Amino acid sequence: MTSEHRLVVAVAAAAALSLCAAMTTSAQGFVAPGTTKKGPGAKTWLAERAKLPPFTPPRMADGKPDFQGRWGGSSSGDDVEETEQVDATTPPWESYVSNPADGRIPYQPWALAERIKHRAGLARGIAGETGERLFTDPQTYCLKSVPRYAQRGFELIQTPGYVTQMLNWGHYHRRIPLDNRSRPGVAAKFWMGVPRGRWDGDTLVVESTNFNGKMWLDSVGNFVSPNVRITERFRLVEANTMDYEVTIDDPQVFTQVWTLSYRLRRQGAGGGGADRDPYAAESWEHACHEGNTNHIEGTQHLGFKWFTPVVPPAQR
Amino acid sequence: MKQLVLLIAALACMPTVLEAQAPSPAYTPPRTKDGHPDLQGIWQVLNTAAWNIQDHNAELGVPAGRGVVEGNEIPYRPEALEKKKQNFANRAALDPEGKCWLSGVPRITYMPYPFQIVQQADKVNILYEYNHTLRHIYMNGNPHPEGPIDWWMGDSRGRWEGNTLVVDVVHFTDQTWFDRAGNFHSEQLHVVERYTPTDRDHMLYEVTIEDPTVFTRPWKMSMPLYRRVESEAEVLEYECYAYMLEEHWNKR
Repeated sequence: MTSEHRLVVAVAAAAALSLCAAMTTSAQGFVAPGTTKKGPGAKTWLAERAKLPPFTPPRMADGKPDFQGRWGGSSSGDDVEETEQVDATTPPWESYVSNPADGRIPYQPWALAERIKHRAGLARGIAGETGERLFTDPQTYCLKSVPRYAQRGFELIQTPGYVTQMLNWGHYHRRIPLDNRSRPGVAAKFWMGVPRGRWDGDTLVVESTNFNGKMWLDSVGNFVSPNVRITERFRLVEANTMDYEVTIDDPQVFTQVWTLSYRLRRQGAGGGGADRDPYAAESWEHACHEGNTNHIEGTQHLGFKWFTPVVPPAQR
Repeated sequence: MKQLVLLIAALACMPTVLEAQAPSPAYTPPRTKDGHPDLQGIWQVLNTAAWNIQDHNAELGVPAGRGVVEGNEIPYRPEALEKKKQNFANRAALDPEGKCWLSGVPRITYMPYPFQIVQQADKVNILYEYNHTLRHIYMNGNPHPEGPIDWWMGDSRGRWEGNTLVVDVVHFTDQTWFDRAGNFHSEQLHVVERYTPTDRDHMLYEVTIEDPTVFTRPWKMSMPLYRRVESEAEVLEYECYAYMLEEHWNKR
């Protein structure tokens, strides 16, 4: 193999590995080619949610709902919209977009053109690609944002004045103050944005702003601008099921406010038998960047560019 | 007389390791709902250990400072001292911080970024601003898992001794340093940290370093941790490798 071939293989292997790992978070798992049934997205979850009886969540000492615990991932992270079969590790899947009802992200025409450009330049073997190497998913550089941090789950803790989320993936954490404090000025931009939380009845509402717009919503180039306001609503609908709804408000990119709907399942801590692994509930170090040199150098060598935030036409 | 006043004033203003070592025994911290001392909040050091844990003069971009090592001397073995000198001479290229790697323990504590402590019944979590580093200090009765394991931040197991959180950390890589001056360790590093609240807004942070392949005997660091008392104090983000990748993408 030439060095370029080795790099292609290394990059492809890394991408495949990340997809395989992502698959394990879904209940559906592997789907054989030719299967028409799609993995469950927003449509399936909303239909199931509608059948659930009313649920009163357990309470903390302060009377707020108790959402604490380890929560499994929201999705594979591969495409928030509906997909057809891509390859053996990327089965057909329903859209996670619950509003608008057609499951499509309501891009403005110029923004849709950008998204199409991102996807055409992935060089992943997805239909419609030009073969050009444009950008790779920024997550492959160990980066996260909202709502994609939830993709592989998190542990949630409630302490006085704060909700805290802790991820195993990439040792990310999110500290959500509940005291209605001010936000940084708009010029201050962050990969993970700046979250502010509040309780709306039994729903935890987290509004995030101050994003830098450098992270994708999924691995296929769906994006938001740095001016986006993302509102997450967490609601316990069964003892072990969290309704997770994400509203994207970014009027310079989309024609309307739109919504993603996910089901999060409580994660167990291994079996309860005598051979139970005492460390099963522990979260061990997931160093990411430290072992990523081959991927970084490989994608650079192949000519992929660093993704920079999309600038709406009005600001050009 | 005027000189004496100035001298006394200067001495009074000079923080020393000895002062930092004297916790106020009278202080009883509040308790969490689990009945343990409540160390929660946002904390940060106010010293120059990030640059050099030993006494050092200023250089361009480096503030002068008294060190945090008790007695100031680090008991390197002769061959290890030679490596430390080489590290120092080549620190611009060799310092792992320059690669934006996880910085290890205790270095992460005295980098110039805040961190937040969040306590649970079975573990104490430290959420650092630098590289969104997340550390779980397990207090669930499990011993260190069997090694050898190369972890950047080691394996942390905690216990309470009175009001002091004592953390035993092992299973390190040999890829991290103690500071920007090339002080280093091997994968045999064994760290014991002690977090002792001394009043509402201060903790004493003491660290014992043991690494028989690099040092002739265990040695200690100590320093105060200060609560960030601003009403809206907040751990934000320092995404080191993101900034580095973006800046150097087309230059490599």
